[in-house]
Amino acid sequence: MQDENISLHRFAVLLACCTAFLIFVGGLVTSTQSGLSVPDWPTTYGWNMFTFPFSKWVGGIFYEHSHRLVASTVGFLTVVLTIWMWIKEQRRWVRWLTTAALGTVIMQGIFGGLTVIFLLPAWISTVHACLAQTFFCLVIALAVVTSPQWKHGLPLMKSRAESIPVQTLCAMTTAAVYIQLIMGALMRHTNAGLAIPDFPLALGHIIPPFTSNKVIIHFAHRVGAVVVTCLIVWTFSRIARSYSDYPLLFRPALTMLVLVCVQLSLGAITVWTAKAVFPTTAHVLTGALVLGTSFLLTLRAYAMTGAHISEAVPAWK
Amino acid sequence: MQKRTLFLCASFLVVALVAGCGGGGSTESPIPPAAGGGAPAGGGAAFDMSKATATVSGKISFDGMPPANDKVQMSSDPYCQMHAADYPTAETVKVSDGGVENVIVYVSSGLPAGTSYGTPSNAVEIVQQNCHYIPHVFTIMTNQTLNVKNGDMTLHNIHVWAEKNPQFNVGQPVKDMVSPTKFATPEVPVPIRCDVHKWMGAFVGVFDNPFNTVSGSGGKFELKLPPGTYEITAWHEKFGKKTAMITVADNDKKETNFTYNANDKAAD
Repeated sequence: MQDENISLHRFAVLLACCTAFLIFVGGLVTSTQSGLSVPDWPTTYGWNMFTFPFSKWVGGIFYEHSHRLVASTVGFLTVVLTIWMWIKEQRRWVRWLTTAALGTVIMQGIFGGLTVIFLLPAWISTVHACLAQTFFCLVIALAVVTSPQWKHGLPLMKSRAESIPVQTLCAMTTAAVYIQLIMGALMRHTNAGLAIPDFPLALGHIIPPFTSNKVIIHFAHRVGAVVVTCLIVWTFSRIARSYSDYPLLFRPALTMLVLVCVQLSLGAITVWTAKAVFPTTAHVLTGALVLGTSFLLTLRAYAMTGAHISEAVPAWK
Repeated sequence: MQKRTLFLCASFLVVALVAGCGGGGSTESPIPPAAGGGAPAGGGAAFDMSKATATVSGKISFDGMPPANDKVQMSSDPYCQMHAADYPTAETVKVSDGGVENVIVYVSSGLPAGTSYGTPSNAVEIVQQNCHYIPHVFTIMTNQTLNVKNGDMTLHNIHVWAEKNPQFNVGQPVKDMVSPTKFATPEVPVPIRCDVHKWMGAFVGVFDNPFNTVSGSGGKFELKLPPGTYEITAWHEKFGKKTAMITVADNDKKETNFTYNANDKAAD
């Protein structure tokens, strides 16, 4: 019988938690406009980033430099996880998935450096934000597939006659959340966050006059919020109605519903407070958590509907 | 087994490479890119400034009660916090004797085309002192050297948000270090910010001619111009632009005034 490698799973969970924290810290950098507080990379005012004196962590440097250190820690943990996987994990595809995560976090670091070197061009900053979410999903996937539950086999659900199968619905929701996150990143990095300074109306209307690109981007994000909310409510309703006996699905679905309510509130507060630092950054983090929960739900839904490839563990070649 | 070993070695190599980046506690900071060559503005022989015999002076007034400036919070840097009492508010609106200071006044049209004006050999200096830029508003000619100096015992990061000239963002971790730069293209205004200390801000007007100034105490200004008809523009960071036409002859002394009020607003 294969060793459960519970420590490996727990390490993957730890990495996922650290990644969520990193997303929050990264959000703080943008919310406090500290992205260029450290003008050089990978050094910090000429110092090796790991030896930069604490006494000089002043003003915006505190946020940007902290972000770099936390990012380096996440990168290091990813390297450790990758090595550990290649030593202990028997499933080849899991090893390569971990390697893909390592490649993603390296690319993420490079994009982070490029944002500084090229003085925060919107497209690089947006890619940097989206890669963060992608990496977060990869790490969540690793945590899920290394879990004892997954390895022992998730319970198979009876197939139901549905116009849209539940696993497809979950996947659609995840895709919608990801697109919404891209729109949010684009809005933040083109300074369109307050292009529509009122809520719930938009420039005093339900549909605002599209007087600038920033208004269009901002409004698209609000429309996306409506779409995402509808999909999440639909997904939760489906699971609550037909799959409430399966806590592996019901709990993340309920969590997702709660999170999206929090997210909508934070979005409104962000506008009402003219992008106060804490609610704005919490909005970024909650968006990532919505994505992560939706992605986890999708993985389980596919596994439990028998729509995934068999988990027979091949012998190491 | 060989594949595993190879992979492990590659992983360690990546880690070592990343950890090794960067030198020791270097105090050097990259000089921002020179924004252009050293040729004087315009073409042909330089304009003879002795021909600028007319004097245009005036006052920039404020009608009504000027708005209060935002309070400044410097607690994010203990060094700056020590000097917080010197600058309790932002310097956005500075009114003295009913006049608005820190207004860039310049000739926006009327100068003969193709005239060359020599680039001054002296450098203009902006100093980061007690976590503020001194001066707050200034003018400079194209290709004239601007020396950015850190006069504080703390880190500063001067970020020039030019649009027509290349932007630059330079860290200055050491007191008394100077980073020189130049602007090749006329641009008004060019905002200057410190990415470390959010309350710090300054503005520079870059011109290809010497006919510009910044209003001083009491909102007063003076320009020396050659004979001609000109559009004079006054620009303020909060209240925006005002213009006036004026015609001067040799040795004329004329006055032109501008008035701002609380409803005036700079364009986004």
